[in-house]
Amino acid sequence: MTTTAPVSTWLRGAHGDLFDLVPEAYGQLGDLYAGLWDAGVDPITLELCRLRVATLIGSAADLAVRDPRAVAAGLTEDVVEALASWTSSPLITDAQRAVLSFAEQYVLDAHGVTDAEAAALHVHFSPAQLATLTTALAVFDALARVRTVLSVEADGSGMAVGPSRLGVALQGPDPDEGEQR
Amino acid sequence: MRIEPPEGGASLFDHQPELFAAFNLVYGTLWSEGVVDQATKEVARIRNARVVDCGL
Repeated sequence: MTTTAPVSTWLRGAHGDLFDLVPEAYGQLGDLYAGLWDAGVDPITLELCRLRVATLIGSAADLAVRDPRAVAAGLTEDVVEALASWTSSPLITDAQRAVLSFAEQYVLDAHGVTDAEAAALHVHFSPAQLATLTTALAVFDALARVRTVLSVEADGSGMAVGPSRLGVALQGPDPDEGEQR
Repeated sequence: MRIEPPEGGASLFDHQPELFAAFNLVYGTLWSEGVVDQATKEVARIRNARVVDCGL
């Protein structure tokens, strides 16, 4: 599994790069996204949320990559595969189970979050961490939907986007600056 | 409210002021910049709120 992937979409900017269309907003979105990973929540837990949201929405571009911060923190493919059975897998912690339940309800039916689920979150996370997780879910959900509706694919076509562009929002800093995604 | 704001704060997000500021910056840019008129953006926002059933 690579942490980089080329990206293509049917919507093109003036120079072939989608994000040339909204550079200021995209730069700010990148800052917001980067801040999520440095706001008090274990990056593995954040990445599991991102991947679960992407699975529910069906965002192939998101599912094709792993955030390098989560990988650096010890995320393995065994744990990623365990997401398919997150309610019972021993590879998923109770804290991760609580937030994955929250993530699923966020995507499928925000009104469906129960008091019991909210109480479980408070057992494992501080209010500041819950603020981070809630913001992260909003961003992960939004980006997965945008990539899906734009048919963004990690397919190596000519619509590759550099690390300082989509890569910021999709994966964070890229150690292989200059490599196409 | 399931997650109380910090003392002196107004919402959950005041627990993470830097993150909230970053969110508000991009949200504000989307409203104040670009080539799509604000009426169209507001129609999209309201439609999204109705689909999600958000009363705010």
